Amino acid sequence: MPRSAGDPVRDDLADVFRRDYPLVVGVAARVLGSRDLAEDVAQEVFLAFGRTSVPASEARGWLSVAAAHTALNVVRSGRRRVAREEAAAVHQDTVVSDVADTVVTREERRAVRSALGRLPRTQAVALVLRHSGLSYADVAAALDLSPTSVGTTVRRAESALRKELNRHASPD
Amino acid sequence: MRHPTEGALRRLLDDPAGVSDADRRHVVDCPECLDELASAREDADLVDAALATESDPDLDVAAAWRRLSTASSASAASAASAATPPGQTSRPRAARTRAALRRPLVAALAVGVVLAGAGTAAANDWLQVFRTERVAPVSIAPGDLVALPDLSAYGELRMTGEPDVREVADAQEAAELTGLEVPEVTELPRGVSGRPVLQVGDEVSATFTFSRERAARAAAEAGEALPQPPPGLDGSSVRMDAGPGVVQTWSSDAGAPALVVARAVAPTAFSSGAPFESVRDYLLSLPGLPDDVAAQLRTFTADGSTLPLPVPADEVTTSSAEVAGTPATVLQTRDGTLAAVVWVDDGMVTAVAGSLDVDELLGVAGDLS
Repeated sequence: MPRSAGDPVRDDLADVFRRDYPLVVGVAARVLGSRDLAEDVAQEVFLAFGRTSVPASEARGWLSVAAAHTALNVVRSGRRRVAREEAAAVHQDTVVSDVADTVVTREERRAVRSALGRLPRTQAVALVLRHSGLSYADVAAALDLSPTSVGTTVRRAESALRKELNRHASPD
Repeated sequence: MRHPTEGALRRLLDDPAGVSDADRRHVVDCPECLDELASAREDADLVDAALATESDPDLDVAAAWRRLSTASSASAASAASAATPPGQTSRPRAARTRAALRRPLVAALAVGVVLAGAGTAAANDWLQVFRTERVAPVSIAPGDLVALPDLSAYGELRMTGEPDVREVADAQEAAELTGLEVPEVTELPRGVSGRPVLQVGDEVSATFTFSRERAARAAAEAGEALPQPPPGLDGSSVRMDAGPGVVQTWSSDAGAPALVVARAVAPTAFSSGAPFESVRDYLLSLPGLPDDVAAQLRTFTADGSTLPLPVPADEVTTSSAEVAGTPATVLQTRDGTLAAVVWVDDGMVTAVAGSLDVDELLGVAGDLS
């Protein structure tokens, strides 16, 4: 049950905030590619959370889903273009190579994030949460899916993004 | 034996303990599954790299908490509402929109920048400094428009949204997307017929944070000295939220808009730090802003209850009128081809425009329901 707008924020907000703020920023940053925008999203998410009665034990899942949704809304509404412009001004054109043989340019990361906004929402959120470190069980609980279907959902999202990258690399 | 599902194969990559022994044994001896597994790993690695963020972010959680603690409760339930889990309800969009209207004067100066956005929560001790109630005409020649200073030269101009203007099916969808009451034209003027094309735009927000250092550099490049900023201005911000809005367009046979009826959330400005009047007056004194425009902007009421409306002075004349008792501004092109009536009422700016005469437009405006 949500609280009414006039209610004070929940008593445990500070504790939950300290515990989960990095997670929420991390989820949003994966979607947006911008720390500043991710922190803005985190503010929105915790403001909303502060007016809910979601049990603290379920907060992590609620906050993660809210962060992903809110950040994806930002991407979908085109706000990320601003972030990209800001990022372009301050960052070198770096490459990320977490895995040998996997080199992704900033341009490609941009294409993937844009494609994220076009994925079916459940796919996009599941993908982001899993890549943000949430376990299969956590993602399943947060999205009301079976753990088995989380794997399928993530796999299909990754496949769709891979196609997007290929399309981006080889424009018609 | 059947092959494991694609979900099970994907899970083998990063949570093998969650996959059944039978599936794990199958994959070891199945070339087809091994191929699929390799493909899944390739995709997962690529996406992980693409979504990677800076490692070990140096987050200032304490500062973020202070920011949250001082945030406006009015906007508390805005952007995350889309994530409200099943069984929970969120505040209606209209209520959120009306509760959290903000805009800095910056947007009025940043010509060409359309503001509309996505419910960014007020994140500092934002103090509401003006709320638009009336529209005041400002004449700006086309040459002045391009000469207006890009405020990014004087500080950080941060947009957190774009209008994302898009067509919608009907007024009901427009209302659902924007939370606005879509104005209904009760009787189309003569020569206008058919159904309108409806477009909606989202809310956006912009924050301008003044930087004395940057402003001094810009002034030096312009060959002028930077006026002495008032105390406390350096680093202070003005912020403006705009939108959402809805536009209905009836086309004429010639293809030009015969009638346009638009409504959007009217601007309200917030300032953190220096008083709004100080920010406004100082911005207006910056090198690059035409003196006559600056003088007109300075005539705005101290509470900022007017909305700067730049129009090309050599093409448009302005006059005053009333729409249902509300003061309105009438704009007419000098060749008589287009006219518009604009007014602000109850936090909403409404415009009726088209290739009609002013009386016809005022008739449409007065009859809007």
